[in-house]
Amino acid sequence: MRRICAALIVCCALTVDPVSAGALRVVAAYPYIGSLVEKIGGTNVQVSSLARGDHNPHVIVPLPSFIAKVRGADLLVINGAQLEIGWLPPLLRQANNPAVQPGERGFLDLSRSVTLIEVPAAVSRELGDVHPEGNPHHYLDPENILLLAGAIRDRLSEIDPDAAAYYQENHQKFIELWRARLLEWSEKMAPLRNARVIEYHKSFDYFLRRYGLVLAGTVEPLPGIPPTSKHIERLEALLKGQPARYVLQDVYNPDDASRHLAEKLGMALRFLPHDVGAVREAGDIVSLFDEIVGRMTR
Amino acid sequence: MSDILWTAFLLSLVLLGIHSFFGIEIIRRGIIFTDLAIGQMAAMGAAVSILLLDGEYLDVVSLAFALGGGAIVAVAARRTDSHEAFIGLLYAFGFSGVFILLSKSYHGMEMFQKLTASDILFTPMSDLLKAALVYAVLGGVLLLFYRRARGLAREALFFVTFAITVTIAVRIAGVLVVFALLVAPAMTALRIRRGIPIVNAWIIGTAVNLLSILLSYNLDLPTGYTLVFSHAVLALAVALIVPARNSPARAEPRPAPDHP
Repeated sequence: MRRICAALIVCCALTVDPVSAGALRVVAAYPYIGSLVEKIGGTNVQVSSLARGDHNPHVIVPLPSFIAKVRGADLLVINGAQLEIGWLPPLLRQANNPAVQPGERGFLDLSRSVTLIEVPAAVSRELGDVHPEGNPHHYLDPENILLLAGAIRDRLSEIDPDAAAYYQENHQKFIELWRARLLEWSEKMAPLRNARVIEYHKSFDYFLRRYGLVLAGTVEPLPGIPPTSKHIERLEALLKGQPARYVLQDVYNPDDASRHLAEKLGMALRFLPHDVGAVREAGDIVSLFDEIVGRMTR
Repeated sequence: MSDILWTAFLLSLVLLGIHSFFGIEIIRRGIIFTDLAIGQMAAMGAAVSILLLDGEYLDVVSLAFALGGGAIVAVAARRTDSHEAFIGLLYAFGFSGVFILLSKSYHGMEMFQKLTASDILFTPMSDLLKAALVYAVLGGVLLLFYRRARGLAREALFFVTFAITVTIAVRIAGVLVVFALLVAPAMTALRIRRGIPIVNAWIIGTAVNLLSILLSYNLDLPTGYTLVFSHAVLALAVALIVPARNSPARAEPRPAPDHP
């Protein structure tokens, strides 16, 4: 028994993480943020992401490692607009790192740098998973990535002014690459302008808006609430005369309702990655959008 | 990091202390699933409060549901022959009820997950102290009155204190974690021929808690589920290997709860 106790104590002592000196430790709430920070921070930052890209971003099961990561962070970058409301607050409290608390320099809420859409006039629980600040999936508008990259550059430079020129240079390079991509994506998406689509969750609204697609309905009756038979019936009736081009489905929600609708009404079902790592091909922020555009135009 | 593990470990001890008593009682009474049923009723109360009252009076509503569940189980004990089936159905009723209610609610699925097995690594110290205080009072009451109480008073005392205990525990740790802490150490302790069962349950439970929390931390696994898993594995293994302490007739194998 005594030997087991000793072994356990040793285990406990081994849980302290080694800290690598020099690099700025940045913790990203989601992988897309991590990828973006890597582009701007380059070799000066050591980035780790908390949530997995193939999980439901609203419902993240916090793991013990999250505490260690946040505790050791110099900068915590979150998506904001309450996407993390279900899991980040207890983590911030438990990690007890004063440098990355809201309002501090080490806390960056990306939603503050963009204009949110679908801001509800009144918030009620009866309207489902409605975020009072607006639709939180703002980064899926590729134009918004430019704003987010700027916010990340500014904050990195503020925390680490010695490397400001380096961040500026990386940012410049990234912006040039991104602008070229934006042209390419607009060109590819142009034939889809005014096409009607339905989506499972209101995840891709910013993307659809950017390229002029029309959202004809959602498989969920209300955001965050699983489809009911009555709602599916209503949706079928609505789409019967003029089916939508695509049913857009994220990778983490059950796809049976979407599949049923797509088959019944002869619409194409497309699985779109919503974050870096949601599908194998979406390895970083650039290939995430390459993949979304690719899957929509294939 | 040890301070974080420390809070989780303390919490598991606070829960273990009183749950071992109830665990041994419910195994002796042969009403194993009572906890799952009452815990699920407490969770249903929480869901009702979240959906209809915006989370107001959560503790009160939750406790009312748990007490209701306890009362139903106590009444059914005198009225039905297939008691386990009754309790099992009460559990299914609570589980599906919570799911239906929370499917209509803001962040409902998240809440559903937390009420099943929440992450005890993230429990604030204040919740821990509150639970410790209430459990100390309940423990005192049980120590003073339980042995002397007879008949209906004894039943009422048992189910009321049990409902309060489970209500608090479900809020902090979730239904499954509570069930594991309640049944697993008690079941193993009742098979040990030496010592006092409750003390054995405390020793076994503490060791498994410590092991699970370290395991969860080092392998980066969800803490609540790791706790449930370790307790279940150990208790199942012991039950298969070590012969029962009591007469074989009482130790007939029961079907494991079919948890979705």
